[in-house]
Amino acid sequence: MDIPWVELIVALLKCVFSLAFVMQVVPILIWAERKVSAYIQDRTGPNRAHIGGIRAAGLVHTLVDVVKLIVKEDIIPSHVEKRYWFAAPVVAMSVALTTFTVVPWGDALTLPASVTALWGGEGPLSVPLQVAQINGGMLFILAIGSLGVYGVMLAGWASNNKFSLLGGLRASAQMVSYELAMGLAVVTMFMLYGTARLDEIAAQQAGPIWNWGVFGVLDNPGLDPLVLVGWIVGGLAFLLFWTSVFAETNRMPFDLPEGEAELVAGYHIEYSSLRFALFFMAEYAHMVVGSAVTATLFFGGYNIPFLDGQAIRENTDIILAVLGFGGVPASIVFAVIAWRRRNRPFYKALPADDIRHREPRFWLAVWSLSALAALGLGVVGLSGLVGGTALGPELVAFALQTGSLFLKVLFGTFFMIWIRWTIPRFRYDQLMDLGWRTMLPVAIGTVMLAGVWVIVREAVQAA
Amino acid sequence: MPIVKINGVEIEVPAGTNMIDAAAKAGFDIPHYCYHPHLSIAGNCRMCTCEIEAGGRGLEIACNMQARDGLAIRTDSPQVKAVRRNVMEFLLKNHPLDCPICDQSGECRLQDYYMEHGQYESRLADPKVGKHKRMDIGDHLVLDAERCIACSRCVRFGDEVTGTGELRLFNRTDHTEIGIFPGERISHAYQGNLADICPVGAITSKDFRFEKRVWYLDETDSVCTGCATGCNIRVCHQQGQVFRYMPRRNDAVNKSWMCDHGRLGWQDIASLRRVLRARIDGKQAELSEGIRAAAAALRGVDASSVAFVLGTRATNEANWALWKVARANLPQAGVYWCQGNDPGAWSQVDDLLMDADKNPNRAGARALADHDAAIGDGTDLAHAVREGKVRMLVVLHDDVLGRLEDAAEGVAVLHLGSQRNTTADKARIVLPATHPTEQDGTFTNRAGRVQRIRRALPAAGDALPDWQLVELLGAALGKGPGARDAATAFKLLAGEVKAFAGMTYKDLGGGGLPLRQPEPLPSPPPAQPAAP
Amino acid sequence: MTVPALRHERTFVERLYLPEIVKGLYITLRHALKNLFEQDLPTIEYPDVRKPMPERYKGAHRLTTRPDGKVKCVACMCCAQVCPAKCITIQAGEDPNDPIEKYPVEFQIDMLRCIYCGYCVEACPKDAIRMDTGIYEINAFTRQDMVHNKAYMTDLMDGHKPLAETFYRQQAGSAPKGYDTDEQRVLPVDGSRGL
Repeated sequence: MDIPWVELIVALLKCVFSLAFVMQVVPILIWAERKVSAYIQDRTGPNRAHIGGIRAAGLVHTLVDVVKLIVKEDIIPSHVEKRYWFAAPVVAMSVALTTFTVVPWGDALTLPASVTALWGGEGPLSVPLQVAQINGGMLFILAIGSLGVYGVMLAGWASNNKFSLLGGLRASAQMVSYELAMGLAVVTMFMLYGTARLDEIAAQQAGPIWNWGVFGVLDNPGLDPLVLVGWIVGGLAFLLFWTSVFAETNRMPFDLPEGEAELVAGYHIEYSSLRFALFFMAEYAHMVVGSAVTATLFFGGYNIPFLDGQAIRENTDIILAVLGFGGVPASIVFAVIAWRRRNRPFYKALPADDIRHREPRFWLAVWSLSALAALGLGVVGLSGLVGGTALGPELVAFALQTGSLFLKVLFGTFFMIWIRWTIPRFRYDQLMDLGWRTMLPVAIGTVMLAGVWVIVREAVQAA
Repeated sequence: MPIVKINGVEIEVPAGTNMIDAAAKAGFDIPHYCYHPHLSIAGNCRMCTCEIEAGGRGLEIACNMQARDGLAIRTDSPQVKAVRRNVMEFLLKNHPLDCPICDQSGECRLQDYYMEHGQYESRLADPKVGKHKRMDIGDHLVLDAERCIACSRCVRFGDEVTGTGELRLFNRTDHTEIGIFPGERISHAYQGNLADICPVGAITSKDFRFEKRVWYLDETDSVCTGCATGCNIRVCHQQGQVFRYMPRRNDAVNKSWMCDHGRLGWQDIASLRRVLRARIDGKQAELSEGIRAAAAALRGVDASSVAFVLGTRATNEANWALWKVARANLPQAGVYWCQGNDPGAWSQVDDLLMDADKNPNRAGARALADHDAAIGDGTDLAHAVREGKVRMLVVLHDDVLGRLEDAAEGVAVLHLGSQRNTTADKARIVLPATHPTEQDGTFTNRAGRVQRIRRALPAAGDALPDWQLVELLGAALGKGPGARDAATAFKLLAGEVKAFAGMTYKDLGGGGLPLRQPEPLPSPPPAQPAAP
Repeated sequence: MTVPALRHERTFVERLYLPEIVKGLYITLRHALKNLFEQDLPTIEYPDVRKPMPERYKGAHRLTTRPDGKVKCVACMCCAQVCPAKCITIQAGEDPNDPIEKYPVEFQIDMLRCIYCGYCVEACPKDAIRMDTGIYEINAFTRQDMVHNKAYMTDLMDGHKPLAETFYRQQAGSAPKGYDTDEQRVLPVDGSRGL
């Protein structure tokens, strides 16, 4: 039998990459949640743990947390329904990770013939940067994303604890209520894009910023006032979808399943150690995936505004030079800031032999190296060595587009954190009220308006 | 009887009554240092100065005033108040004000009266006159002459009560100080009273020195169990621990005094000789087991060979209960009371307070014996034991075996007591009873006065009050006397025994009541101290 | 009597909810960015930076001593008496060689019970006990170690100056912003910081 080794390895690599993409964001998010909340509340946030005197603004705490969660005793209460209780965190986590498979993080990476020749391939090989190209990609997200609630429900039910059960019940009721609005928002976007494939959706948004879904998916809008209708449709769809994402990820202000005041910790009350960590990470993974899907649907996905994949490949050297020489002053500014921080009262209050006196020097070194690296990048760009090769522009495009999606995801998750520390939790009746009596009608109206817009859009584009 | 008027209140008092006492009767407190109801009048502190409204004139000291018809005094006029304030200023002029280290603080008249009548601003510019401090004047006493206000109470006590006269006032004016003659020491047996009567902290007790601040102490009225005199005492205790005994005034028994032996009587409450657990054949046992074993042992022998011995150290209630138990359950058994002291009992005797009989309730046991002619005395018991009629002795507290020195071997003994003694050590079964400070009850003193003891402490170990132990023993045998508490036991006793007829705990109050039919007692009534 | 609660009638814009969310987001973001760039937080980075304690701060108790090194305490029990938590235990003893006859053989304060009311200091007639150490880190691994005894409280100030003698003046120069360097705490009292 002829086994397609190359395809297998490529698919495997893509899986590893997508996993890494989600998982690397999680610790950053945990850190950001703490630091952002602290700054919003005029606190300092985590700043005690350090490695060799380097505290990295509290990032080390995340590492320490991992150690703590691994080392902690894994308490299995005697009254739980063991099978489902064990399964629940796994379900929650794996569902969150699975959703990411259909999100594209770059347009196709074309491996030139010189590379494929290494394993005897014939001609260039185009690798789509997406784990699974499914025709109904968006539907896949809806389907799998909704499974996420099974983790919560299982945990709530299997914990055999009334608080947990109430948490699970709330989660499922909330899911049912907001799935509708979410589905209708997605339907709106189907109508605008005319496809459910996420790679095609992302591709449609390449080019100018007004190609983004949130502006109604419109090439070359001109100055027609009717464009506003597109903005309204896209904006409404985005609002509905984004709100539903909050509800689906159980984030504030929709985190009623774990409402501390009345349910202690809700569905994960009985979990400890790594099982709790799985729930904890699943929440952040959900945030990452939700942000990624939102970015893909509404904010151009991996696309950099005004700089589509073709443009990147054609201007690789210029982009590298700009990035490099732009990065040098930025790094220097950071280096200066880091070095000035040694004068802070905090360092003066430390005893002279305290290990944390290394910190300013460390960051000075880091940013100096970064400046050197940026300089090197700029020189490489000027030299024109990369743009001339076959593989170089492809890799640069891949890096920039993935980075673009990464930044969008980061902003989306930051926004979630930001919202969490701004808005108080809904009351349960308010939650239901919002879901059924506000969002559902608005969603239906949006779908209708989208129908109008699709027709109007043709007219606008034709003009 | 003359009628005197104090602050406008008319009151009738016996002729010759001291006006301080008369005022107290009328409800007015006249401050005083040197006056003591049981000592002669010295009149040197001037604190009790009062204004005479009628029957004389000017200011006079109340302690030296005797009630007579037409006398009217005022204790709260501005003049009187000014005098008191000035007297306080004089008295405190050379006082070291070392209250933080003074044992008297808390019960010091200088402190009390300064707050009530002093409250002046100090005008003292010169250094205070220094005097002798921390003088060892006796086995139980420490003298600090600086704190002394020269009231001479201690001098008069030595002269008039004990007649030993060791203490004197030396020097003149503000150098006056109390002291003892060179080479002498106070050695009489009533030293503690000097610390008691000292109104300030000049004479303090060595035994109580720095042990406890007095304001922490709870006080429970009781009766000394050292001898048959039955001095009224106040048990000063805190958190289950006794710190001192203080004499309590009872003019019919001990006036305001008590002897040093009785004063240290609290030391055997927590002594190593206490019986804390039941013992059967030398082995420690639960109290309930002990009682069951005792009942079984009593049933196991011929009833006529059992002898119940009422205790001369047990309460009236317990003796009555034991008698009832014997009569109700073992009618053929003999009941005895056993006079005489335990071997090893302290032997000091005088004609002031210390009685030759060292048992606090001999008269009570005697009263029961008088009520029931079948109750034999110690001689009868000795006879019965020698004749071999007694196979089992039930003993309440008393060291009966020690008293019957030649008591036959082989007599099984059931001992109910609080202290170990020869009887308890030889007994087959020992049941723990409480110390008198741990139970309610009554003792009858040598003069036939029934006086109450009150529970001040929780019972140590498994111990139960005397009457309750007997009650439980009776219940185990079949029929107890049926008392719920000491008060009902005494009520039942009073209803049955004529000598106690009609008495209740309430009637006994603090001072006690004499037995209804005073029995002629072998030892003479206490000698009266020299009259003032 | 019932007083009807005054309810705020929400305007249309408020009922739209989203503008209000944006307002809230603006406020929180302003705080976050300000704190990120200015790094001017009121937090004191204890244990590295310490808050200068006011002179009359009541910290751990100490026993003062006479010039000859003996404790001033004469075991008068005034502190034990006045203590509302009943945490002071003193065992008095007699010193035959001292004109001040009475001294505490042992003086214990159960810091687990102590409520830091300072009555003991006020009650003391000899100025023998003070709470001016400025020490607020009173902790131990066992309950027994939380009972401060005479030796501990006598030597507590070895090498330190009590608060009243500007215990913290040495560190005053490094006090974080928002705190006066001259010992007294100066926080804006109107709560206007950043708002």
